[in-house]
Amino acid sequence: MKRPLLIAAALLFTGGAASAGVDWTSKGMQMAGEIIANPAGFLYDFQQDLESTTPLPPGKSFGVQTGLWGGILPTLAAMPSISGKYRLHAEGRLAPGVPQLDLIGGYWTSPLAESATKNSDTIADAKFNGYYMGAVLSSSVSPRVRTFWGYKRSQLKARARFLPNSNGKYPELLGTELKSFDTGFKDDFLLAGIETPKGVGKLWSIQLNYGLKTQTFSTKVSWYGKVFELGLNIYPEGVLVVHPVWNMHLNF
Amino acid sequence: MKKTILTALLTAGLAGRLCAAVAEDSKIFTPFFDMTLSEAGYVPSAGNIFSGGNVNTQVGLLSKITQKDQLFGLYNFNYTGQGFAPQDTRQFTDRSMSHNFTFEYRRMLNERVRLRPGVSFGHDYSRTGANEAWKNGLYNMNSSGLQLAGDYLFDSDKNGIVTLSYMTKYVKFPNYTDLLREFQNPDNVAGVNGNLQDQTLKQLALRPSWNSFFGGLTYTQQDYKNQKVVGSDGVYNGTKQKDKTATLDFGFHHSLWIFELYPMVSYSMHRSNQNFMRYKFLGATTTDPLNGSSDVSFVAKNYDYNETTLSVPLDLNVTSKWAIGGAISVVSRKYTDRPKRDANNDYVAGTTQKNLMTTLTGSIRKRINDVAMVRLFYSLVVASSNCKFEQYMPYNYTGNSFGIAYNLSY
Repeated sequence: MKRPLLIAAALLFTGGAASAGVDWTSKGMQMAGEIIANPAGFLYDFQQDLESTTPLPPGKSFGVQTGLWGGILPTLAAMPSISGKYRLHAEGRLAPGVPQLDLIGGYWTSPLAESATKNSDTIADAKFNGYYMGAVLSSSVSPRVRTFWGYKRSQLKARARFLPNSNGKYPELLGTELKSFDTGFKDDFLLAGIETPKGVGKLWSIQLNYGLKTQTFSTKVSWYGKVFELGLNIYPEGVLVVHPVWNMHLNF
Repeated sequence: MKKTILTALLTAGLAGRLCAAVAEDSKIFTPFFDMTLSEAGYVPSAGNIFSGGNVNTQVGLLSKITQKDQLFGLYNFNYTGQGFAPQDTRQFTDRSMSHNFTFEYRRMLNERVRLRPGVSFGHDYSRTGANEAWKNGLYNMNSSGLQLAGDYLFDSDKNGIVTLSYMTKYVKFPNYTDLLREFQNPDNVAGVNGNLQDQTLKQLALRPSWNSFFGGLTYTQQDYKNQKVVGSDGVYNGTKQKDKTATLDFGFHHSLWIFELYPMVSYSMHRSNQNFMRYKFLGATTTDPLNGSSDVSFVAKNYDYNETTLSVPLDLNVTSKWAIGGAISVVSRKYTDRPKRDANNDYVAGTTQKNLMTTLTGSIRKRINDVAMVRLFYSLVVASSNCKFEQYMPYNYTGNSFGIAYNLSY
């Protein structure tokens, strides 16, 4: 009995050394480098926070949604969005076992960022927007469990031009002068997930989204009721891996 | 090489899950869904902090054609992100992603015997950093294979099954080239240096399970199509590389009062006819490759090892929703012939390399409902080895990790 305890104690004491030496500057540089290498991929994670890719609750015909918060951004102000869902077929209506079919889609833009550039001395102009559209099939596998599968096409555009200062120098990022960027992201995604009730009128779901061309993937864990959706979106290969999400929706 | 073995083991594991999916009597189609997701932050004693995750998703459908005939299709997505790993397996920053499709036909021959022929296809990506494109991974691979499994059902009340399975796979690495050969002979073209990891993998497994006890004996053989064995003169001879791995494992999942215990132990013996030539620097030459201190050293049977893994997770179900968990995990690898290396990259004669990695985990688990649970965890990793040369791979370090994990299974 003593031996395991001694090993455990030794491990706990040696563990202290592991917490030393966190180089936040280096970590920040690494994250900045990843953003520069793939700016569209970084921005697209915020678009995914807005995308509504769960099926409509049973009995509902259509729904609307807007993003309130995603990752580190108040998306309601930074990238206002509107998403919609429309049920084409209710589960079992055509024939027993035929799944529910919903059309999904949405659009966002960033008027705040664009108007801010008008008064800026360093940015000439900027444009950010994106959309997604697709379809979701859902099927009840028990009274308390519903699985869903779907497809979506997502696109994002981000463009900005910078101005030189009085010395003719452009803004610098990691020692490199930045004159402009014009980047975009477009991919076809497959998604699969499962949904279970969490309480009366409340649902919990977990889903995987996978981009066929770029191999971009994400997992979304969501809790939602009649008005709000809270989520924890995880982008394992993203710069900001964990995005807390808050969306508002109404279904009719 | 390691990645292929992992794939083989994954396939073996998949076969177990396939077997676990049972058709509901009232339904023609029975779906199968299992998703495990974890994300953690890592603080190693050497190097900077990082985060990494694991995602495993299985989506399947079992269709009952007749009372005796069934079809099963399964898609498995697996992602392994950055993280601590046992020494000599991968770097912290490595990440991999795989897509595997399995189709299986099940035929009940009588009340106790079932046959399961099947086919499988897979595509695996790997990369060493976030800025490398997945499609360019050196160890990306495509696989296709056949499987034949036979189940003997001896106790239906307690899920008593003995499974004997044979699987063969052809594995192709389209991006792989041998950098050593390119270095030795720059005139070599990709056609000569490439396709060296392509291999045929055969696996025979005998796995009994009963009353939540399970175990098995698995034998895996990898026959390389083009990779030759390097000799003590540094030249590849005419013999092709062949690796063999035998694994014995045992575990169970049982509850007693508030205690829920699911330990697992396995013992593997890996043998390869491949040797290793260590160059200390670019352009190194030697007249005595058998001297471990020379600039170029030859190590026969460099890859042969015996490995023991032990994992003992324990959950205390404090209430029907909440549980406190603790776990200890040990991976011990002992090379049979590879000498240990000192800090100068010199082999020390008369020794063999030994690696040990111990992980202690504490967690809090909440059951969300019948099919889902979430776990917050903290782990302490202590890795030690008598290999002191750590320029490329960490051998001796401690690390902390903390994260969250979700599991949903239907």
